This record gives sequence, C-alpha cells and structure tokens, in this order.
Amino acid sequence: MSVHTAIQKRRGRMLSKSRREKTVGILCLILLIALALMVMFPIYWIFRSSLMSNGELYAYPPAFTPPAWRFENYPETLKSFEYLKFLGNTMTILIPAVAGAVVTATMGGYAFARLRFRGQKFLFTLCVGSMLLPSMVTLIPIFLAWSRLGLVNTYWPLILPHFCGGGAFNIFLIRQFVKTVPRELDEAATIDGCGYFRILVFIIVPAIKSAMIVVGLLKFIELWNDLLQQVTYITRRDRYTLALGLNIFRGSFNDDWSSIMCATCLSFIPGIVFYLIGQKYFVEGIVMTGMKN
Amino acid sequence: MKKLLAIVLCLALALPALALAEGDGRVHITYSFWGDQTEFESVQKVLDEYNQMQDKVFVEPMQIANEQYTETLVNYAIADQLPDCGMVNENSVLYFARNGVMADVSDMYAGEELQPMDCITFKDDGTPVGYSSCNEILIMYYNKDMFDAAGEPYPSADKPYTWDEFVEVAKRLTFDEAGKHPGEEGFNPEKIVQYGAFVNNWTWQMEVWALSNGGAWFSDDGKQCLINSPEVIESIQKVADLALVEHVAPLNVIPEDNGVGVGIGSKTVAMTTDGTWRLGTDFPNLDINYGIAPLPVMKEEVTLCTSGLTGVFKGKHQQEAYDFVKWYTREESNWDSLVLTGIWLPKSEYFYKTEEGISKWLGNEKYPYNKDMETGRKVLVDYTMNNAKPACWYYTPNTQITTNEILFTALQSVWSGERTAEDVINEIYPDLCEAIQID
Amino acid sequence: MTALPKRHTVRYNRAETRAAWICLLPSVIGLICITYIPMIASFTLSLFSWNGLGEMKYLGLDNYIRLFTRDTKFYGSLLTTLEYASLSVVGSIIYSMIIAMLLNRKVPARGFFRAVFYLPYVLPVLAVYLGWKWLFDYNHGLFNYLIKLGGGISVKFLDSSAMVTPSLALIAVWLSGNLIVIFLAGLQNVPRTYHEAAEIDGANAWQRFWRITIPCMTPIIFYNLLMSLVTNLQVITPALSLTQGGPGTGSYYMCYMLYSQAFKSHKYGYGSAVAVLLFLIIAVFTGILFATSKGWIFYEGDEKE
Repeated sequence: MSVHTAIQKRRGRMLSKSRREKTVGILCLILLIALALMVMFPIYWIFRSSLMSNGELYAYPPAFTPPAWRFENYPETLKSFEYLKFLGNTMTILIPAVAGAVVTATMGGYAFARLRFRGQKFLFTLCVGSMLLPSMVTLIPIFLAWSRLGLVNTYWPLILPHFCGGGAFNIFLIRQFVKTVPRELDEAATIDGCGYFRILVFIIVPAIKSAMIVVGLLKFIELWNDLLQQVTYITRRDRYTLALGLNIFRGSFNDDWSSIMCATCLSFIPGIVFYLIGQKYFVEGIVMTGMKN
Repeated sequence: MKKLLAIVLCLALALPALALAEGDGRVHITYSFWGDQTEFESVQKVLDEYNQMQDKVFVEPMQIANEQYTETLVNYAIADQLPDCGMVNENSVLYFARNGVMADVSDMYAGEELQPMDCITFKDDGTPVGYSSCNEILIMYYNKDMFDAAGEPYPSADKPYTWDEFVEVAKRLTFDEAGKHPGEEGFNPEKIVQYGAFVNNWTWQMEVWALSNGGAWFSDDGKQCLINSPEVIESIQKVADLALVEHVAPLNVIPEDNGVGVGIGSKTVAMTTDGTWRLGTDFPNLDINYGIAPLPVMKEEVTLCTSGLTGVFKGKHQQEAYDFVKWYTREESNWDSLVLTGIWLPKSEYFYKTEEGISKWLGNEKYPYNKDMETGRKVLVDYTMNNAKPACWYYTPNTQITTNEILFTALQSVWSGERTAEDVINEIYPDLCEAIQID
Repeated sequence: MTALPKRHTVRYNRAETRAAWICLLPSVIGLICITYIPMIASFTLSLFSWNGLGEMKYLGLDNYIRLFTRDTKFYGSLLTTLEYASLSVVGSIIYSMIIAMLLNRKVPARGFFRAVFYLPYVLPVLAVYLGWKWLFDYNHGLFNYLIKLGGGISVKFLDSSAMVTPSLALIAVWLSGNLIVIFLAGLQNVPRTYHEAAEIDGANAWQRFWRITIPCMTPIIFYNLLMSLVTNLQVITPALSLTQGGPGTGSYYMCYMLYSQAFKSHKYGYGSAVAVLLFLIIAVFTGILFATSKGWIFYEGDEKE
C-alpha cells in the first residue's frame, strides 16, 4: 500500500465523518423544529382564542385560525383589566422577592457546599425536609401570624418570606452548582489571603452566575403562579396583581373566555421579557466555563 | 452585589404599608363579594349610593376571587379578620351560622311590608338564620330556531314534558352527520352534530331530579340522609343515561354550566336546564331566539329555589353592617342592576302574589323576558309559587362536605359511565350519613 | 470498620463556622418561622377534629385510623398520586434532557429554540391549563376532532379515570421548561477540556455522552430528579383548575385531597392528617433518592476522601 492511498483513505474517512455529522445536525434540526411546533401549538391555541368571540370559541368543528381577527378584543379587555397597574403591583412584589431570594439562596448554598461547621448535616437535612411540605399546609398558621401583625392587604407577607433563603429548592440548586466549581480555585484564593466572603463574591458568584439567573427565573415563575397566597393576602382591588387580575373575568355566573384569553396573552409578556433578559446571562455562562480550568 | 442589596432593601422599605385611617369621622365597614368586572361596577355603584345618602357609615368593597371565595372568607374568620358583611355562598351559610360567626338577622324583616319567601329562608334546626338576597329557580331553556328547523312544537308552559316525552323530543332534535337520529338504523353516536338536550349536572342541581322522581336527598329536618332510595338512584341514572345510553346529550363528566352559553347559544344543544339568572347573565349577550318552560317531570312537578345571601358578621360594627345589609338586600336597592336585568328574581312574596308587584318587574319593558308575559308568568311566577322547594343547603348542615366534596367526586364516575349510580351511591352513603351529623 | 467516628477527627475552623452561620442566618430564620413552627402547628392539628371556627376536639390517632381503614378515596388518591408523579418525572426528565442536548449543539437560531421550549414554563399556569382543556375536551376539543376526522373513536382524555392522569402528566412534561434550563446550564458547565481530551483519545460522541457528559451532569440530574419528584408528588393545580379530583379518584391527588378536605370541607384536622402522610411519603421517596445518590453522583469540586 502506497503512502498516497493511505492518505486518500484517511481523507475519505474524515470526509465521511464530517458528512455524517452534517446529517446528524440536520436530523437534530428537523427534530427540534417538529418538537418546537408541537410545544408552541397550545400557546398558539390560546392566542387564536384571544382573537375570537365567545360564540366562535365554542363553534364545532373548532377553527384553526380565527374566523375574523378580532384585535379589538384587546382594547376591550384593557378597559377592565388595568394591565399597567396590575403589572406595577406585581413587580413591586416580584423585584424585591426575586432579588432577596437570589442573594440569600446563594449565601445559603455556598455555606452548605463549601463551608464546614458543626451541625451542617443537621441543618441541611432540615433544609431538604422543608421542601417536602406542600405550601398550603402552612398557609393558615402563617396567615394567622401576619394578621396578628396587621399586615394583611400589604405586600409584606408576599415579599419577606423570600428573603429567608428563597426556599430550599433554590438553596439546594445553588449548592449543586457551587459543588461543580473546582475547589482548587478557592484554595488558591485562600492562599492569596481571601476570606470566606471574598471567595463567595469574587470566585463563587462569577462561577455560578448562570445558576443564580436560573434561581431568579424559577422564583419569578413561582411567584407569578402563586395564586393561593395572593388570593389570601390581597383583597383590595387597587393592590391586585396580574394573577389576581385574571380572575376578574370569571364572574359569579359565567366566564368571559375571550377576555380571559386576551388578559392571559397580555400577562405572558413580562415572563417572556424576563426570560429574554436572563438568556443573555446564560450565554455569558458559557464563556465563563471556557476559562474555568 | 452590595449595591443591588441596598437597592432592594430601599425598594422594600418604600413599599406602602399604610393602614387605611381616613379621618372623616365615619365608621368604615367592609363588604366582601366575588364577581367579575361588571358585577364589581354594579356593586360599587350601589355602595356609592349608600355612602352618599347618609354620612355615618362608609362601606368599602372587598373583592375576593370567585373560586377561592369561601376558603378565603374562612381563613379571615379563623384569623378574626372577617369583613363586616358580605356575600355568603349557599353551601356555607349554615356553616357560618352554626359556628356563631354570623349575626342574628331573624328580625330583619319583622314588621316590614315586604316579607322574603319562606322557600329561601335558611334554617338551622328550624330557626331562621338568614335570608337569600334574591330568588332563583331552575327552569328549561330552548332554542326556538332549532325547534322550528326540526318542525317540533315548542315545549308548553302549561303542561311540562314527562321525562319520556323529553327524551323522545330530544331524540328527534339530535342528529349525526348523516342526519340520522338516535335509534335509527346507521346512527353514529361518534359523529353527532346537534344534541337535543342538556341537563345541567352541576351537583346541587341534581337534587331537583331526586325530588322530581319522588325521592329526596335529605329529610326535611336535615337530619337524615335519604339518598340511597331507589327513586334518587334512578333519577341520577336517568340523567346520566341521556348521554351514555340515549345519545341525546353531550358528555359532561366534569360538571360545567355550559348548557346555555355553549349549548343552545352556539346551537349545539336544543334544550337545556339551568337557573333563572341566565336570563340576565347569558341571554342578553347571545343573539338567539330562545324560550323558557318548566322542567320535565319524572313523577312530580317540582323545581328548586336557591340563592346566596348577604351575611352580617359579628364584630365591632355589627349594627352598622346590619343596617347596610338591610338596605342593600331590598329589591329596590338593586332594582336596575340586578332585578330588571334578569339576574335576580325578587325575593318577596309581594312580587309574585300581587298584580302590582308582578307588573313592576315582569311587566317592565327592560325585563329580558317581558316579550311573552304569559309564559313568563307561568314559568317564573306560578312555578316559583306552586312548585319550588328549597335546595338542601337551606336546612341541611355540612353541604360543603356532602354536595361539594363527596357527591361531586363520586358522581363524576357516573357521568363518565364507569360506574352505575347505584354502585356509587351505596358506596358513599355511610359517609354522607356521617357528614351531616358533624357539628 | 474500626475507624473512629469522624467527628473526633474533624476540627472546625472558628472563622469558617462564623462565616457559615452568617450566610445561613436568613435561611435558618426562614426554616424556623415559615416552615417548621407552622408545620408543627399543622401536624398537631392532625390529632384533632376542627372545622376552623368551632371547638377543637382531641381525637388521638382517629384521623389516621379512619384514613387507612374507612376512607374510600385514600388508597385511590395515593395510587393516582404515585402514577402521576412517576409518569411526569420520567417523562419530563427524558424530554428535557433530549431538548437540552439538542439545544446544546450548534444549531441555527438556538436562542429562538431555547425560548420556544422554555416558553410554556413562563406562562401563568392556570391559563395554560385552561388552554389545554380546549384541546382535551371530549365534545368540542381539538384532539378529539382530529381523531374523529381520522375515523377513530373519541378518547375521554380528562373524562375517564384511566386516561385523566396520563393526560395531565403530558401537560406536566410540556411544562418542564425549567428542567431544560437547568440541564442546559449544567451542560454548559461541563468543562470543554474533558471533551477535547476525550476526542483526542478517540472517543466517539456516544461514548463522550455516557463517559463525560452524564457523569459531569449527575449533580444536576440529581437536582432535577429531586425537584420534579417533590413537585410532582405535590401536584394540585391541574386537579384544581381542570378536573376537580375526578372522575372517581382519577385525579384526586393527595395534595388536592388535603386541600379539598381542609379548605373546602372545613375538616382541618383530617386534612392535616393527609398532609402528614403526604409529607412522609415524599420523605421516603426523597430518602431513597438521597441514599442511592452517593453511588452515582460525581462532584467535580468535592475533596477526595
């Protein structure tokens, strides 16, 4: 066998490899597109419902596209759905609560992952144990406490609890991520004379930024959907949040579905915006991991 | 990070935690209710009127989400934070009354000209504990155009259908893609285009069929559960069979009130049973030619009357709340917004028994069903007077357990056709008997 | 084993301990005030009969005895909860892992796809269930319309006790965008140098996936498993907003049972007893997960023992 043919063979193998990778890439893309279409469909369905009249919604067979694109449903809905006000109220709760949760969960997760102290195992077990409890179990005792403090119909009961570690899940998530950060990094920092807090701020936080953003997102969504707490604490119309606002189309006797769907579509916006902001940081996370080792 | 923390803390501290202390020298009381935007506006209007006509009391609204209303109210009761007055759902009236949360209102109408009907008086062991804010009965609605298209005569207001007639008419009004009716050769129940009937199977409404079939859910004193009688079981099975066996009704396993809006409103169902509030809440928005009739009859001609009430809760401002509720629940206070729109039927006998009273609402041209006074009289006035019986929550304790919990879940298996009514009722009967005994 | 108990050999650094407690202070306050004290209060309630407004009556273990011996719905509720949890945990872990792997490749418009798969999760969950209801509805729903169009027989997606839990689990899988994001974040934390080294050593994509990606991902997989197990065992929203527990006990999940008994029927003591049992069940499953975790989790940053 000559050197020449050997090189040709090798080149051929490399070619077939890159061709195969190309095929795999295309297959993956097709799969992604198919899955994406399936995932988007129910959302499209809600959106198309928002552009239909109540009568059209129940027509059979169901229409795939609105028979008449009733964009006027939106201004109509906004008359009673005080979007900006509800959004403002929601943000008044969300911004401090999310920030509080991210900060305290990072502190907690760091302590559990990196610091050694007496009682760590016990505390960690307690922390994990608290996840096992459905939140409605503690609803009444906590409500009793807040009402004794006279804080019903304020936002405090919806904000302050999130300054307490932001929930065991989030502490746990941060802990998992801190554990994936190589220990050599903080050992090096310790040698350079860094204290524990400096390590947290200058080494751990940059390394787990993406996880912190994830915690922020999780918290955002959790609060967003936390209707039970909001129903319980807020009964004044001027303090309504978006989640509570969605309920105003559900009457004693009948529901105005097309308005509910309009309001729903409108309430999608902040979540999507928050996600798009967060997404930038995921990308930064990639850059960061590149220089980790 | 520290900067962020600082910003966050500032934000948090800047939040308004103001208590509402308006120094206007008036007593501020709260009125709680549920409802949508339209209801909110009409409630606010009535409250504004009250707040303007006197200067001692100022009523503030407290709006709670419809679906969590009772739960939230109970949370407030546990925390001793109840509003001063508010709407109370039928199934929790006796619960609040028996636990000493509601103020005694039994003398509210003493010596008044307008007396609420006995049928809508909540009684605990025979003692009146509250009066419904209005009256509502169950009737049958039908789409006239669909009857015309089938060449079927309209249901009569004088002589209601027997159950068998009802099923027969429903069969003639049901057809599949090929135009075949149930029972005909080649009828395909998978391809039904139009259904003949829809019987609202929302749990509490099922009681009317038990009464109609000669049975009862509970004894009149509310102390015994009679639901395992053959009559009651048969009544449930008959309603379920409309969809399962006769194929004249759409399947409705998770009970939903969509007989009117979805059913006859979008012309998928020709007849439906539902409450009289639909006259005001649904039909004005539905562009259809509809008629009303009494319910079909299994054995006895009967309907159910019911409505929630406006309760006065015990507390510092009980007296002010009592006065407000007394004013608020008069028909006149809600005349334009609730009575003339058709949402409420009046609660006082005067509006049923005297010509003058009847003409005030049924005869008013704003009333949704005044185009056909004669039918209106028979179905709304005479039917209430002669055939209405109170729903079980007027006299039976713990319906929040029996109707809402036990029966609700159990009956779903009957609606889906997985189990027979007999099987299910016999299984839950001991639980029901026990539930009504709980204090 | 003859080794001395570990605590005799570990010496805690005082500064480290102090730092740890400062970091954990908010969490500890939270654990005590908003979890454990209310929890003890609630659990004590399970020994009483209480309707919320009236007198409390001490019952001892009667509530529990009743649940196990006389409640016709308890076992159904338990089974359907386990069914829902297993279907949605397995389904959503596999689904989100596949999506995360696909998204971690160099695909065009990656950001867009990421947003698409995450989107269901950021939407208000109640609205999402209402949207799905129109797809699942027996009479007017789109799915059955399509099935009938294809000549099939309508399926009772939400209207039969056999189908309701799988149908709801499908929604749960659809909603699992949070798992995707966490998997993605984890995938991005897998050091590239490992992959590069393996590639030089001649490992193919499949081998690299099993030998490098999966082991590096184990802490994240563990977290996702734990989180979806716990949240799915605590399922309530679909039952509240769509099916109200039925048909039969088809969607009478334990958390819904607890809600229904305590908040709707005002049997707070009985509801608390359900809560205690649910807590124990979740604890057992979590315990099993933790007990087996030592064997398969690989922490890069952990010190070698």
